[in-house]
Amino acid sequence: MNTHRIALIAAAASLAFGTTAVAHHSTAMFDFSKTIEISGTVKDFEWTNPHTWTNVTVDGNKTAVYGLEGMSPNYLSRNGWTKRTLKPGDKVSFEVHPLKDGRKGGFMVSAKLADGTVLYNLPKRPEK
Amino acid sequence: MTKITCTAAALAVVLLAGCAPSKPAVDPAVKAAMDRWAEVGKLPDWSGVWEIDWRNTRGMPPRPAMKFTPAWQVKADTYKKNQAKGENLQADVANCVPPGLPGIMSQPYPIEFLYQPGKVVMLTEAYYMYRQVWTDGRKAPEDPDPYFNGHSVGHWEGDTLVVETVGLHAQNRIGPGIGHSEQLKIVERIHRVDKDWLEIETTLTDPEVLAEPYTSTTSYRHLEDELREYVCLENNHDSADEKGRPGIRLE
Repeated sequence: MNTHRIALIAAAASLAFGTTAVAHHSTAMFDFSKTIEISGTVKDFEWTNPHTWTNVTVDGNKTAVYGLEGMSPNYLSRNGWTKRTLKPGDKVSFEVHPLKDGRKGGFMVSAKLADGTVLYNLPKRPEK
Repeated sequence: MTKITCTAAALAVVLLAGCAPSKPAVDPAVKAAMDRWAEVGKLPDWSGVWEIDWRNTRGMPPRPAMKFTPAWQVKADTYKKNQAKGENLQADVANCVPPGLPGIMSQPYPIEFLYQPGKVVMLTEAYYMYRQVWTDGRKAPEDPDPYFNGHSVGHWEGDTLVVETVGLHAQNRIGPGIGHSEQLKIVERIHRVDKDWLEIETTLTDPEVLAEPYTSTTSYRHLEDELREYVCLENNHDSADEKGRPGIRLE
């Protein structure tokens, strides 16, 4: 389902004169056919344009830090996120489309917080 | 509007006799400006912000394909062929160079319209840019400097704003890997369909690149929202090299 949601983003890419709904770059870096789960502790959460960026220390391996690109604060703030949604030290489980090049990073699909709340990087806004 | 005119010298008299009302002396320039603003008030209400319907929830037909001149068909084919080599997968927008027109109108961020006498301004949240459309009757410039968002003149046909844009930057793309010549002209017909939707019909004309003018229609959904700041260089992890190979900075 999440892959489907991103596929919609990719479809928007062709709609939008070759620009994409992840705003300023294509999805070529990420393997959209794969979704992996990364559970860990938020190291930092950069609430910045053109994309949010979350560094996560993976559970059971303090040396493994994953860098997760997300949608922009502009986008996410219209879809239930705030700059305080993720905080250093938070225990979070992420769904991620990994980087194709094998480095520790990817596109953040969703974030499941310690209280069970699941937040998505792609739109959940109800249609009019 | 009447006003009471008193002079200091007359004040003593005023206390006894009061001030005489005088005819309003409206400066003709002020009157003309007020009239121009009154005209602005008759324009259609496009307030709020407008976000492209990138999920096509409105169910519009797919965009037609562009028809290229033979020379540009070869370029388009080569561009696609080189994607298999890992090139042309990411454009310079990944380096925060704005897409310019037409791409700037298709970003997944809202657009706001502002009216002034003789001018409509479009604010695009994406890349934190603006477009100014002169509606004061002037002609399009004959030899403009290249601008990413071009040089626009427009006029109203009823509730439709017709915008003609020339002088577009050589770096702009009209489709993936498709450049343009100095002859590129873009005509947009913008109108509000109903409470929720604004439509822009866009026609690109460029005899060097396009075998025939290309027309497409884009829908924008009304949002009661406000624009946010978008500074692409705030913290950009992404990049594209000169061959369009993507990069991402992890640290």
